Amino acid sequence: MVHNALSKQSAVGIDTTAIRIRESVIERRARFRGLAEPLSLLMALAVLIVVFSLLNERFLTTSNFQNVLTQSAIPLIVAVGATLVILLGSIDLSVEGVMGATGMTWILLSANSRGGVDLGPWAWVIALGVALVLGVASGLIFTALKVPSFIVTLGMWYVGLGIATMLYGTDLLPRLEDEGLKGWTSRISFGLPNSFWVALLVIGLGILVLRSTRIGRVTLAIGNSETIVRSAGLPAFRVKVAVFAIAALLSGLGGILATVQLDIGSPTVGSGVLFIVIPAVVIGGTHLGGGKGGILRTVLGVFLLTILNNGLILSGVESSYQSAVTGAILVAAIVFAAWSQRDRLRVAK
Amino acid sequence: MTKIESETTKIDRETTKLAVPVRAKFQSVKRIGGWHAIGPIVIFVAILVVVAILTPAFIGGGGLAIIASSSAPILLLALGQAMVLNVGSIDLSNAAIGLLGAILLALTLGPVAGLSPLIVLLATTAFGAVNGLIVAYAQVPSFALTLGTLGIFQAVALVASGRTTVYVSSNGEGIHALYESGIANVPLTFWMGVLVAVSLWVLLRYTRIGRGMTAIGKNESAAIFSAVRTRSLKVLAFALSGFCAGLAGIAIIAQAGSASPTGLGSDLLLPAIAAALIGGTSISGGVVNPLTVIFGALTVALVPIATTAVGIDAQAQSLVYGAVIIAVVALTMSRNKASIVK
Repeated sequence: MVHNALSKQSAVGIDTTAIRIRESVIERRARFRGLAEPLSLLMALAVLIVVFSLLNERFLTTSNFQNVLTQSAIPLIVAVGATLVILLGSIDLSVEGVMGATGMTWILLSANSRGGVDLGPWAWVIALGVALVLGVASGLIFTALKVPSFIVTLGMWYVGLGIATMLYGTDLLPRLEDEGLKGWTSRISFGLPNSFWVALLVIGLGILVLRSTRIGRVTLAIGNSETIVRSAGLPAFRVKVAVFAIAALLSGLGGILATVQLDIGSPTVGSGVLFIVIPAVVIGGTHLGGGKGGILRTVLGVFLLTILNNGLILSGVESSYQSAVTGAILVAAIVFAAWSQRDRLRVAK
Repeated sequence: MTKIESETTKIDRETTKLAVPVRAKFQSVKRIGGWHAIGPIVIFVAILVVVAILTPAFIGGGGLAIIASSSAPILLLALGQAMVLNVGSIDLSNAAIGLLGAILLALTLGPVAGLSPLIVLLATTAFGAVNGLIVAYAQVPSFALTLGTLGIFQAVALVASGRTTVYVSSNGEGIHALYESGIANVPLTFWMGVLVAVSLWVLLRYTRIGRGMTAIGKNESAAIFSAVRTRSLKVLAFALSGFCAGLAGIAIIAQAGSASPTGLGSDLLLPAIAAALIGGTSISGGVVNPLTVIFGALTVALVPIATTAVGIDAQAQSLVYGAVIIAVVALTMSRNKASIVK
């Protein structure tokens, strides 16, 4: 009634009811589609869990559950940052380099078998500072010099690895000597491994940043259309640098935790993480073009890949096949997601 | 007052109206003719001169031949990558395909001898074509797709080789001769790369197929509307990448006589991408010159040698390498103030 009254009042007198109904249908459909994708992921997870628990009774035990959570903690932390970067429409390949540099800095400044200084908590601050510098450098080169993020972070991967290798030097490998920290990541408190608690905190903060801060909202907007963001006078430059800094900080945190978990400092502490994180983000349904997706979807993606790998190993599948499984799922996920939108005139890069 | 102000703004507007197209024209001339063609060569020569001054023995002692021979697999992979980048996609799986090709070659040289390289090239071309078919017909982003197939090819290589180094058991002489014999002290594997580069250059420059590929990279929608066969050309670009990867696999076997799923070849993906980019290929597509990619590959092979010559610690090499990649692309990239870089 109100709608009709309004349309009658308008000068031209066009009846917009049909358009409004159409809009509400589109909105409802969009809401359904937004739910359908995570739901299908959840269903895939449930199917996996049922199949694996039938194949091996060790799969559905508390200890294996905690094991899976420990394994997924570091990819989860790194993936939160990667999701933010991909939401911009960019990509962060520097993950493994930043992890190496941060991990090495941290262990050399903590109590380790090489001796040297033990700065305690300051080691964390300085190591994360290294990560921050690498992230800000990536962000600044990307935004100010307009070098594609693919190249910048590819270079930064090597720079991080180089820093880590230089810190590693030619001495014996530095072993963690702090008894309180040894094995901290997989220790259980309140039923969950410590590293998973950290991951939960990071995920919570990440969702908060994305949902209710200016950085998060502008990040999504940049992914949708940077031209509009700029003409609206929003701080695209600063937000892009900030997102790369956040991503590097989270990679750094992942690097420190991975070093604690490994017990030894190594420049290649992050090796293989990139091949879990990016597929996880994409499988979760975040668009590589940016603007669409979210952190919780990525969490589902990480869980899908970790549970799959864990279950396959428990079912006696050789570890050689692991990368094929991750790869095949990634291919299946993107083909599945793109199939309904196929169109002769659509451009997919 | 107000009248004068409005007059000046009017003039301002007019001059800017004039200035914009002129500036754009200048930029495009500079971009096509100048820096893109010469940049990669200048960079290579500059680094080479620095190395020659610091360690004169390097040039006299056949250093150039060493660089050329070590750059052969990178060059072949980079050429394939450049073709895929040219259509606006990326192939992250080509180094894995190359490595799988090398392992297949090492495994089959004994039983089927001379047919083996042919089988390998057919197989790798088919692998590349499958990538292309999925990208073109399922319309998925090539970055994610080839990341996925990278994992699959890696696993196949691990399983086929049994996680160990595979040695050529017999009939390896013919392949090995590609590395042992050469022209001007440079192994045939490198000249093979040069030959491929020249053929690709001809393809891109003088044929309808090549022009179509570049058109896709420049503006895919426009190419579709201009009746360019975008899908088949994309498949062809990926197939060429697979073919080049197969040649790189042959070059690896020629050089090392063996292939391991974790050894030479598994670390070639990023150097090859770097070589293509330093060689002036645009990451967003539509700009490529296979001939300058040769210098891109040579530069990539020269960087580790140059860092040692300058006296930088061997441990700092990857740091320098990363910095060089960023710096070179920042220098050679064509950019436009209003453009959006992702």
